[in-house]
Amino acid sequence: MSLLASLARGAEIPVFAAIGAGGLAPVETLRRRPGLRLVDTPRHARVLLVAGEVDAAHATALERLHAQLARPRATVWWRAPRLFDRGEIADGDDPTGAIRRAAETDEPDQRPDLPPHPWEGIGPHGQGGMGMMGGTPYGRPMAMTAEDIRDGLALDAYRARFGPFLPMLPPGLALDLTLQGDVIVAAGVAAPPYPQGAESDAPGPCAARMLRLMGIGPRAARARGALAALPRGSGMRRRLAAWVDGARVDETPRPLPDALPGRDWTGAALWLASFAPSRLRAACLKPEAA
Amino acid sequence: MIAATLYLLLALPPLVWAAAVFDRIGTGRGALLAGPLRNGAALLLRPVAPTEAPDRLNRLLAPGWYLALALVGLSVVPLAPGLVASDLSTGLVLWGACEALTVVVVFLHGWSPNAPFPLLGAYRYVAIALPAMLLSMFVLIGAALPAQSLSVGAVVEAQREVWNLVRQPLGLPLFMALGLALTLRGPFDYAGGAELAGGTSAEESGPALAAWRLARAAMLVAFSAMAATAFLGGYLGPVLPGPLWLLLKTLAVMAATVAAGRFFARMPPARMLTLLWVVLLPLSFANLALVGIEVLP
Repeated sequence: MSLLASLARGAEIPVFAAIGAGGLAPVETLRRRPGLRLVDTPRHARVLLVAGEVDAAHATALERLHAQLARPRATVWWRAPRLFDRGEIADGDDPTGAIRRAAETDEPDQRPDLPPHPWEGIGPHGQGGMGMMGGTPYGRPMAMTAEDIRDGLALDAYRARFGPFLPMLPPGLALDLTLQGDVIVAAGVAAPPYPQGAESDAPGPCAARMLRLMGIGPRAARARGALAALPRGSGMRRRLAAWVDGARVDETPRPLPDALPGRDWTGAALWLASFAPSRLRAACLKPEAA
Repeated sequence: MIAATLYLLLALPPLVWAAAVFDRIGTGRGALLAGPLRNGAALLLRPVAPTEAPDRLNRLLAPGWYLALALVGLSVVPLAPGLVASDLSTGLVLWGACEALTVVVVFLHGWSPNAPFPLLGAYRYVAIALPAMLLSMFVLIGAALPAQSLSVGAVVEAQREVWNLVRQPLGLPLFMALGLALTLRGPFDYAGGAELAGGTSAEESGPALAAWRLARAAMLVAFSAMAATAFLGGYLGPVLPGPLWLLLKTLAVMAATVAAGRFFARMPPARMLTLLWVVLLPLSFANLALVGIEVLP
């Protein structure tokens, strides 16, 4: 055990970044920092890094995210005001020191270990109601068979909120989605993406974010091949091509509730990533203004 | 047979470590050699996070099954003439069974935590891996045709004059596509991937995650050894002893597979499905037809 512990002392610290306003570009600079590793899910992380100001309306979501990290765990607030009274604040350009210190500590649960909603299922396992299913156990409606919009293969429709800290979606964007398999059949915007600095709209970072969703690094030579991986004639391909060539993309997406249904999960994530963060935010804010 | 099993079990840990080192090269993180060991140790010391109403048995067993499939698949690879752990006259069929069961095991891995992203990854993987496995069947039949045998030993011996890589140049690239699917990597990593926050592994942590990653690396070793045997002449080679040739070729295929995983972008699944059924499968038929014409007397 002590051998394992001494070996583990030199390990990289897995960090999950919950990105707030203005946090997108700074987190990008951590990606190649030795000693840290940004991970895609809080389950793989030791430290929760809150980068940039998180809307107080998302405090509960952040606390739930905190509970997703297995203990021992710790929080670092980087250029972000605290939303709950745990962890350390890091203000400078480099939170590495704070993250290292945090990785030596442990924090108890922020929320009581209770279901977020009351049990409203029918039957002891939620299996009552129609056929085998029914009710809304713990606030999540049971998946029920519904009409399919793509290929007529009727699957159970699953409704849930996705976001605001999912790493494959623009930070802050929370979507109420109905999924059949991995196809989105209905979408609503529960919260728009956070504002990001102008540097996040630059072609380089935009291309890198999109390519990361496709599993490859940002080098240009690879990126040219990556274009062929996207459907020919699609806007995604055109926009990625522009970014790879170093051109800015100023297209504004259609409103998400119209544009997302019919796309599968991957297609939707890529489509969202194929717009500059500021344009996507504008598209999500517009319906409220109208 | 016992000797071959022992050699395989001795060679596997360093090869798994080599796979992890290959994965680290070019990521700019440093600590190439020690990094994987340190991170593995740190992972072992973390707890396994519970999920709500999981399928506990399958969650526990999935990494073990994956590792077992890699080991069984590896066991049909001859290390030298007559030195093979499972000396079957139908070794290629056993390997094919391991491929097919990998689809089931990856599905169980995504199914068992009872969470949306792992489940999406599981279904997506099944949809893509099924045609990828079909592909490999045709490619392997192509490799078996010149030997007129399904025994892996006979497939190697049939390459004494010329490697299958030369005789059927389409075989190895098509087989590599399968290797990427078997080892959940790069363009065929439909079980995981950044767009699903890790997919089937999204809810895993601690030793369970370490075990899954270990099994995945072991599968890369098994696949590379098989590819080296079926297309690069396995243990055949001048001067050096046979097992050393096999080791070198296995490392070469491993490096090539890791590189291919980094080079090719992952398509949206619907596009990949079209590519598999419309382009790659017909290519594998063409490969098989060409091999058939070659071996006509």
